Amino acid sequence: MSSLTTEQSPKQHRYLDVVGVTKSFKGTVVMDQMNFRVARGELVSLLGPSGCGKTTLLRIIAGLLEADTGDIVLGGRNVSSLPAHKRNISVVFQNYALFPHLTVAENVAFGLRARGMSKTDVQAPVADALALVRMESYADRPVSALSGGQQQRVAVARALVVSPDLLLLDEPFSALDRKLRETMQIELKALLRSRGITAIFVTHDQEEAMGVSDRIAVMSNGKIEQFAEPSVLYAQPASPFVMDFVGLSTRMSGRVVTQTDGIATVRTAIGEVRAIADYTAGTQVQVGVRPELITPDPTAEMNQIKVQLDDVMTLGSKTVLHGVTSGEDKFLCELSGIRTGYTRGETVTWGWAVADTLIHEVAA
Amino acid sequence: MIARSNRIALLAVPGLAFLAIIYALPLFLLLFKSIQGAEGLTLASYIDFFGDEFNRTVLWRTLRVALLTTLLALVIAYPTAFAMARAKGIWLTVFLVALVLPMSLGVIVKAFAWSILFRSNGFINTTLQAIGITDEPVRMLFTETALVIGAANVFLPFMVLPIYSVIRQLNKSLPEAASSLGATPWFRFTRVTLPLSLPGVVAGSAFTFSLAISMYVIPSLIVGERQQTLSMLIARSFLYLRNEPLGSTISAVLLAIAIFVVLFSSWLAGRLGARQ
Ligand SMILES: Nc1ncnc2c1ncn2[C@@H]1O[C@H](COP(=O)(O)OP(=O)(O)O)[C@@H](O)[C@H]1O
Ligand SMILES: [Mg+2]
Repeated sequence: MSSLTTEQSPKQHRYLDVVGVTKSFKGTVVMDQMNFRVARGELVSLLGPSGCGKTTLLRIIAGLLEADTGDIVLGGRNVSSLPAHKRNISVVFQNYALFPHLTVAENVAFGLRARGMSKTDVQAPVADALALVRMESYADRPVSALSGGQQQRVAVARALVVSPDLLLLDEPFSALDRKLRETMQIELKALLRSRGITAIFVTHDQEEAMGVSDRIAVMSNGKIEQFAEPSVLYAQPASPFVMDFVGLSTRMSGRVVTQTDGIATVRTAIGEVRAIADYTAGTQVQVGVRPELITPDPTAEMNQIKVQLDDVMTLGSKTVLHGVTSGEDKFLCELSGIRTGYTRGETVTWGWAVADTLIHEVAA
Repeated sequence: MIARSNRIALLAVPGLAFLAIIYALPLFLLLFKSIQGAEGLTLASYIDFFGDEFNRTVLWRTLRVALLTTLLALVIAYPTAFAMARAKGIWLTVFLVALVLPMSLGVIVKAFAWSILFRSNGFINTTLQAIGITDEPVRMLFTETALVIGAANVFLPFMVLPIYSVIRQLNKSLPEAASSLGATPWFRFTRVTLPLSLPGVVAGSAFTFSLAISMYVIPSLIVGERQQTLSMLIARSFLYLRNEPLGSTISAVLLAIAIFVVLFSSWLAGRLGARQ
């Protein structure tokens, strides 16, 4: 397994180039030598737990916050020393930050008016932008009369109407309820794609990040742990943190006892677990497995565990079995569709393919 | 059974009764005196009041002083309120104490303190002469300018605090959103921050103007009898001239102005608020 934290970026990834950005608040370093590259037209997510520095990075890119060191290069132009209003980077704020004293149309017109366009000249582009987000019939309403989803649409229209070089969105879906959130994610993604907008989403919701973006930068403590396509993040998490944050998994710590032909055997509290890895014997590691890769009917060559069935959750599209090992470790086994024939309390043997074991070296 | 909302309305009874007996009733009696003639009701004392050149001068002076006081207080208070809204911790405390503490000092102490500053051999005049800006002492005490400066000083907290509380509650993302949309600091201020702070400006101005229009102690101490205001005229009518109809009439005029200010400012605030 590679311990690479950031993917090597080919040249075309250099539309936005964040170079060596460091930021501290009152002596506390929240971002240390951050490097981050985005390609033109790419939709990227910054994913990480609350307080890891996502908003800080976003604000530094937008010019709303000054970095202590480092550069922001956008489209080959170093914008580090430009104030926010000269960067042509639009931001959709977490609470949308619509101007409460203006109507929907006036909100959308704001950026064009700020660029010196006359009241008559802005009418056509504002109408287009409102049509784009299907809010044209609300043009003359005060923004306070809008629902959360409508406010978000207006915020997006307001941000896009100025043809920004880059669009930044800070947790844009967090104020919406679940159903609406999913609809808006699909709509917004399609809209940004169709217009070729380069956008960075900030989110702490891994499902949202996987749904809306081409690549995801998983952040922790002001650092990017891994920057890759959603499928890579899920199947090959670069660190225990990424494995834990992206998708569900059960983790166990252990020590490599033998290593032969690229297969490491790890001794854990629940017995021996094999994984594809070239760690030498004695290495302290963490192993894990995704719930949907666990089968209740293991074959002989699989890793096997004995669990007691604690719960059976029938969710319609899937059935989730909860198993508890003798060492109180909890395992989930996710099966597609509705499954019957499992009884709570019975002891069963589960298993997963050796190749499906996720393994990372950890500090001893 | 009394409906729940009615029972809650009962809570307002003591306050309403207090207002009715201590405030509304005497005021009503006072107003009644202003239209009470020898035979029946009459507007004679109003005609007398507005017919007198001196009274009109006092009325205009009162309005002018109140307006200038409000403007001066606003000009000083507006940036102060911004600074306060940005201040944190100890600095905010310093601001609030500096603003509120002088209120507890009382106007009399302040007025005498100012006279040390303003009088012909006072601090300002000796300084002006020392640095050669003037040869003669400039008369400052007993002028309208001194009155406006003094009144603005006394009423400053009533202007600062409403503006401060509005600015404090402003969503900090709004100016940032404006910037990221390409607004220069000036455009951002005139199109976002200023309009959003107007409810505070209206409230503060209404407070200050109402206080300034009815002030009595401050003009008595700073300009004395030379430049009377409506309140001083009222006091004189009741206390020295024993002319109750005249005193009641001027009180009614003052009250009418105050009511107009309150109605106008709440209408303005409502209009501003409706858009937000
Ligand atoms: N203005 C500030 N002053 C002091 N600390 C701050 C400030 N803004 C953010 N921080 C700190 O920086 C860290 C990262 O914050 P933030 O970027 O908002 O995280 P996220 O958006 O990922 O939740 C947090 O620990 C936060 O407390
Ligand atoms: Mg944040």
